[in-house]
Amino acid sequence: MSEINNLTIPEIVTIDEIKDEIVEVKTFYLSFDARKGGEAPKFTSGQFVMCTVFGAGEFAVSLPTCPENDRFHLTVRRVGKVTNALHELKPGDKIGIRGPFGNGFPFDEIKGKNVIYVAGGIGLIPLRSSIMRVMQNKDKFGRVLLFLGARTPQELMYADSIKEWKTAPGFETNITIDNPVPGWDGDVGFVHTLIKKKNIPIENTVAFVCGPPMMFNAVIKELTELGIGEENIISTLERHMKCGIGKCQHCAIGRTLVCTDGPVYTYRQIKTLGEQI
Amino acid sequence: MNYKSGICTFCGTGCGHLLDVRGDKVCGVFPMQNHPVSKGRLCVRGWNVHELLSTADKITTPLIRKNGKLVEASYDEAVACLVDNLAKYKKDNSEEIGFLASSRSSNEDNFLLMKLARSVFNSNNISLDSDPGHRNSLDVLNRATGMPGMLGSLEEISKADFLLVVGIDITKQNPIIGSELHFAAMKGARLMTIDTRNTQIAKLSNGFLQIRPGSYKVAMAYMAKVLVDENLCDVDFLKRYTEGFEQFSKTLAALNDDEVAGKTGLDVEQLKNAARDLALSKSAMVFFSSGISGFDSDTIGYIFNLYLMAGKIGREGCGVNPVTGINNLQGSYDMGIAPDLLTGFQSLSDKSAIDRFNKEWGVKLNTHPGKSICESSGKLKALVVVDHDETIVRNVNEISKMDFVAYIGSYKNDFVNYAHVVLPVATYAETDGTFTNTERRVQLAKKKLEPAKNVLPAWQLIAKIAEKAGAKWNYASPADVMAEIVKLTPNYAGIAYDKLQAMGGMKWPNGAARLNIESAPRKVSFAEIAGGLSVPLASEEYPLLLMIGEAQHYWHQNNLMKKTSIPLREYNATLLLYPKGYVAISPQDAKDLNVRDRFTVKIVSPYGSMEAMVQVTDKVKPKTAYVAYFVDDMVTKFFLEHKDVLKRGEDATIPVRIVKV
Amino acid sequence: MYLIKKSQVMDIAKELQKEYELYGPVIDKETKQTMFVKADDAAEIDLNAPIPAIPPKHVLFPNYERIMSYKYDRQNKKVDIKPDFDEKPKALFGLRSCDLTGVLCMDRFFLGQEFADEVYKNHRKNMFIVSNTCIAPFKQCFCVCTDSGPAAQEGYDLNLTDLGDQYLVEAGSDKGKKLAEKMGLAKADDSHKKAKENAVDKSISLFDSIATDNKAWISRVMNRVTTGLIDEKVWEYIGNQCIECGACSFVCPSCTCFNITDPITAPDEADRMRTWDSCSYEGYSRMAGGHNPRKPVEDRRSKRFFCKLSYSQAKKYLRPGCVGCGRCQWVCPGDIGLPNVVTYIRREIQK
Ligand code: SF4
Repeated sequence: MSEINNLTIPEIVTIDEIKDEIVEVKTFYLSFDARKGGEAPKFTSGQFVMCTVFGAGEFAVSLPTCPENDRFHLTVRRVGKVTNALHELKPGDKIGIRGPFGNGFPFDEIKGKNVIYVAGGIGLIPLRSSIMRVMQNKDKFGRVLLFLGARTPQELMYADSIKEWKTAPGFETNITIDNPVPGWDGDVGFVHTLIKKKNIPIENTVAFVCGPPMMFNAVIKELTELGIGEENIISTLERHMKCGIGKCQHCAIGRTLVCTDGPVYTYRQIKTLGEQI
Repeated sequence: MNYKSGICTFCGTGCGHLLDVRGDKVCGVFPMQNHPVSKGRLCVRGWNVHELLSTADKITTPLIRKNGKLVEASYDEAVACLVDNLAKYKKDNSEEIGFLASSRSSNEDNFLLMKLARSVFNSNNISLDSDPGHRNSLDVLNRATGMPGMLGSLEEISKADFLLVVGIDITKQNPIIGSELHFAAMKGARLMTIDTRNTQIAKLSNGFLQIRPGSYKVAMAYMAKVLVDENLCDVDFLKRYTEGFEQFSKTLAALNDDEVAGKTGLDVEQLKNAARDLALSKSAMVFFSSGISGFDSDTIGYIFNLYLMAGKIGREGCGVNPVTGINNLQGSYDMGIAPDLLTGFQSLSDKSAIDRFNKEWGVKLNTHPGKSICESSGKLKALVVVDHDETIVRNVNEISKMDFVAYIGSYKNDFVNYAHVVLPVATYAETDGTFTNTERRVQLAKKKLEPAKNVLPAWQLIAKIAEKAGAKWNYASPADVMAEIVKLTPNYAGIAYDKLQAMGGMKWPNGAARLNIESAPRKVSFAEIAGGLSVPLASEEYPLLLMIGEAQHYWHQNNLMKKTSIPLREYNATLLLYPKGYVAISPQDAKDLNVRDRFTVKIVSPYGSMEAMVQVTDKVKPKTAYVAYFVDDMVTKFFLEHKDVLKRGEDATIPVRIVKV
Repeated sequence: MYLIKKSQVMDIAKELQKEYELYGPVIDKETKQTMFVKADDAAEIDLNAPIPAIPPKHVLFPNYERIMSYKYDRQNKKVDIKPDFDEKPKALFGLRSCDLTGVLCMDRFFLGQEFADEVYKNHRKNMFIVSNTCIAPFKQCFCVCTDSGPAAQEGYDLNLTDLGDQYLVEAGSDKGKKLAEKMGLAKADDSHKKAKENAVDKSISLFDSIATDNKAWISRVMNRVTTGLIDEKVWEYIGNQCIECGACSFVCPSCTCFNITDPITAPDEADRMRTWDSCSYEGYSRMAGGHNPRKPVEDRRSKRFFCKLSYSQAKKYLRPGCVGCGRCQWVCPGDIGLPNVVTYIRREIQK
C-alpha cells in the first residue's frame, strides 16, 4: 500500500488530458497532486480504483494503465449519473482517487507460458494493462495471441495501442467485428468463432477473457472445449462497489468479496461462486 | 432521548416511527414497537424517511416571479403578492380562483386552506390532486351507511377469517397492511386475491383469481348472484339492518355463467367457491385500492352489496375497506377538500351544517358547489397549489395557461416553474399536525425540530394570508385549529390534542373499530348501481388491453422519492433497466411479437402512441399489458391523451396494439 | 471481581459520564419502548429494561453518518476535503451479551480483515463497555442456541451480574479494573462467583418457559447453508414473503452493509454520507448500466442468510453472524426472521 493513506478519504488528482476513445467512452490521463511528480501510487495490472467525481459521487473502475512505462489513466464509459458527470469535466479539473485495490492479474506466475487475450467491447479496458506489460516483457512469454471483438469498427477501443500490438514482435493480433460493413477488410463474426478458426496453443497456456456476459459464456465454452483448463482461464468481475476495501458488502458474491478477494478470478473459481455472474 | 415519536407520512397505513433527531438534523429512524397499526414494522419508504427529511433540496425562502424569473422575497411581500392577485379575480368573479390542495397536508393545514378558500376568497373551487378514486369509495359507503370511511379497521384484520383483496398490489402500495393480511393468513384466515396481475399478495394467498382487466364488477356481481342462488345470504341480518335487497338482487338475475366466464376470463366454479367461502365465514373483510387507481362507483357498489348480503358489515372482524395510498387522503376528505363538501363529508347543501359554519366563522358561505381543477374547463385564472407532486401532470396544460399560480410547499419541485409566487412551509417533522390514516385513525405527529430559519409552518402561513386578505383568525397552535375542526365536524367529536398525545391516536367516530350498525339512525341501504356490466373489449385492431397501475413502491410519491438515496435507487432499479419506461407483457405475447425483454416497442391506442421497452413477465396474462403510472415523462404524456379513460381508476383500460420498433 | 450495592450501581455510569458520552438502555416514557441511546442523565438508564428495540450497533455504525465533507471550486479548480471521523469517547453501559457479541462481530469484520475500516476504528477506539448478565431471558431470545448469552464471555471492560441486593462486577480489561479500583469497589470472592454461575444456570433453565417465541438450531443448518444444498422451493417460499423493507439488516447487531452517497449541501459543496443499507433491496447489487446479478428476491434473501449462517462468513466473525437476539423476527413484515428461516430449512432437511 502507498505511503499516502487514501483508504477512506480520496486523494485529489488532476485531469491532464482527455481523449475520446469511442462513443460514450473517454480516457482520462491523471496526475496525483500530493505525490512527487504527480506520479501514481504503485499498482499492478487488474487492480481497480475508486474514483470520486466531486458533487456527483464515487464509482469503481478498473485500471487500463500498464504498471511499467505508461501514463496513469482511466478509461470510463458513460453509464450512470456519476460517470456522466465525469464525462462533463475538462482538463485541469480535479477528481478524487482511492486505491488501488484488488488482487490483480497474475504476471510472474505465468512467465514462460503462452498467453491468449480475448476481449469483447470495453472488456479490453482491464486487459490493456496486462497486454502492455506482457508486450514489454515478451521475451519471458511464449506465443501471445490477441482476439479483440467489437460490434462495429467504430467501437474498437484503444486504436493506438492496437496499432502497436499489431506490429509487436511475437504478437498474433486478431480483430473481428460482429457484422460486415463496407470498408472493413478484417474478420467478421463473433470472437469465439474466430478462436476456433485460428490454431491456438492449448498446452502451457493461460487465457484472459473479458467482455459482456453473452460473449464471455460463448468464449469460455469454446476455450474449454478446445482443452484449456478452467484454472487457466482468467477473468475480472465487475460489481456494484461502494467502499473498495471489503466493508460495504455490495460486491459480495457467495463467499467472496470482489473488491478484496478479486476482481481477478479463474474461471474455476467463478463457477463455484454460486451466484449469477 | 434523541428518538422522538412520530407517524410515517408516506402512505395511508400510518405506521408509527421514532426519528433520531439531533439538533436540526434527522439522523435516522426506527419503528415503534407498540404502535397499534405497525407493531414495530416499517416498509422501505418508512425505513428511509430520514433521507428525505435531511435533504438540502428544500424551498428555503419565498420567491416572486419578476420579469420571468423567480427572485427571493420576504413572506410579507410574497403573501401580499398572492393576496393582491387573488383579490383581482375575487372582485370580478371568485369562480376564477381555485385551490389545489394536497393529500399529504395535515388535517389542520387542509382545514385552514379550505376555510381560506371558502370564507376568505368566497371560492368553492377546492380539490385534491388525486381525485377521484377515494371519493367514489366514500360516496358509496356514505350513501349506504352514513359512514364516509373504512367500515372495518386494520386492527381487526386478525379477527377476520375470510379476507378478500381486490385489485390492489397491497404489499407495494401499503406494505404493512399487506403484512397484516399475510400474518392473518398464516394464522389460518382464508386469504383470497382477485387481480389482473400476479402480485406478491396473490402469491401469499390461499386462492388467486387472475381476472381480465375491467371486469371486477362482473365478478363481484356474479358472487352476489351465487349468494342469492344458493341461499347463502344472511337473511336475518338483511331484514334487521338493511333495505333495498330485493331490488338489488333482481338486477342480478340476468347474469349467466357463460357471459361471466367470457368477460372475466375466470372459471365460474372458482368464483362460486369464493362466494361460498365468504358466506360461510364467521367474519370477512375486503380490501381494495382507493386513490388514483381506485375503482369506479359501480364496482365499489357491487363489492359493498356483496358484503352486505353476506352480513359482513358492522360486525367484529368485518368490513368493506378502501385503502388509501397517500398518508392523509382520508383526512383531506374529512377536512372538506372537495368542491361540494364541508368537513366530515357534510354537504354544502346541508342547511344546518352551513349555518354552523356561518356562525362559527362569522361569514355567509357561498353554497354553490365549486369545480375541481379538472372539471373547470379552462375557467380558472388563478390557482393556489399546495405540495403538488410534479409527476402528476394530469393538469399541467390547464395550469400552465393560468394567469397566476402560487405554490406552497416544503420541497423543491419542478412545479415551481409554473408558479408566480412560491411560499416555503415547514416539513411535517417541524410542526404539530394530525393525519388520518386509511382506517379513520387520527394521529398526532408532533414537532420534532425547528424549521429552517424564517420558514413558517403551513397553518401559520395560511393564517397570515387570511389576515392580509382582511380576515381575523386567531390560532395560537394547531391544537386550536383542531378544536375548531371538532366543533364543526360531528364525526370528529371527542378528538382533541390532549387525547392524541398517546401513541396510536384515536379513530373517528368515537374510536369505533367498525361501523356501528346497531346505533345507526337508519337502515343500511344497498348501493345503487348506475351502469351495466359491460367490459372494455379488445378488437382486432387493438388486441391487447393495457392496464395502468402503481410503479414499485413509489406510487404517487416521486417528488419525495427523488430527494432520497436508497428509495431512489430502488425506484431506479426497475427504471434503469428500462430507461424508456416499460410495458409488461406475457411471455406468450412476447413470442408472438417476436420481442425479448428490453426490446423497444411502440404502443398504439386509438388516441395516441408512445414508445417503451417491454418487460416480459408471467405476472400478466396473455392479451393484457401493464404500464406503471408516472414511470417516465413519455408515458405520462401518453396518459394525458387518455384523461377520460384514467378517470375510471382501476378500470382504466386502454385497448392497444403493440408493435416492434 | 468486585461488588457494588444495587442502589449504587448507577454510580459506575455516573463515573463514566465524566469522561465518556454515555449510552445505555432507556425506556421511552411515551411509547414504553426500550432504546439503546445516549443518556444525557445517567438516571435515564434502566438496567432492568427489556432488551432494547434498537441494538447499540448505531453507536459504532450510525444509521446516517457523515464521513467527510468537501467543497469544490470549479472556477479555480480547487478541492477542499474535510474528513469527519467521530472519535469522541463513548461508554456503552448495560449492554446485553447478545449485543456485545454483535459488537465483537463488527470488530472482527471492520478491523480484522485485509483493511481496517477507519470510520469504525475511530468510533471504537475510545470505548468503554459495561455488559449486563441476563438473569432471565426475554420472550424473543435464543442466545443459548447461538452461544452468545445469557452472560458475556469476553469483550467487556466491566460485566455486571445481578445477585439480588448487589451486583457482581467483573473486570475484563485493565481499563475496567482501573475504574473499579478508582471507585474503591469491594472485592468479591469465590462464593460470589458461584452465585453468578447459579444465576446464569437458572437463567438458562428459564428459556424453556419464558423465551418461547424463537428457537433456532443454527448448527443444524450451517452446513447446508454453506454448501448451498437447500431446495430452491424453500428459498422461493421465503422470497415470496419478503416485502423488501430492509428491517432485518437494520436491526441486526452484526449486519454492517452500508451505502455511500454524496448529497449536495450547498452550491459546490457536498457531504459524503455513509448509511445503513440492506442486501434485501433490489438496487443493492445493481450496477450502473443496469446489469443486476442478484435480481430475483429469493437470491437476495439467500444472500443474507448465507451471511448470517455460513461457515465461510463465520470465519470473518470467528462465530456465526447470528447472535440470537430475535429482533429480525419481531420487525419482519413477512414471517421470515432468521429463527423461522432456520426452521424452514430444518424442516426441509428432515424431509
Ligand atoms: S407502510 Fe406506509 S406508513 Fe408504513 S412505513 Fe411504509 S410508507 Fe410508511
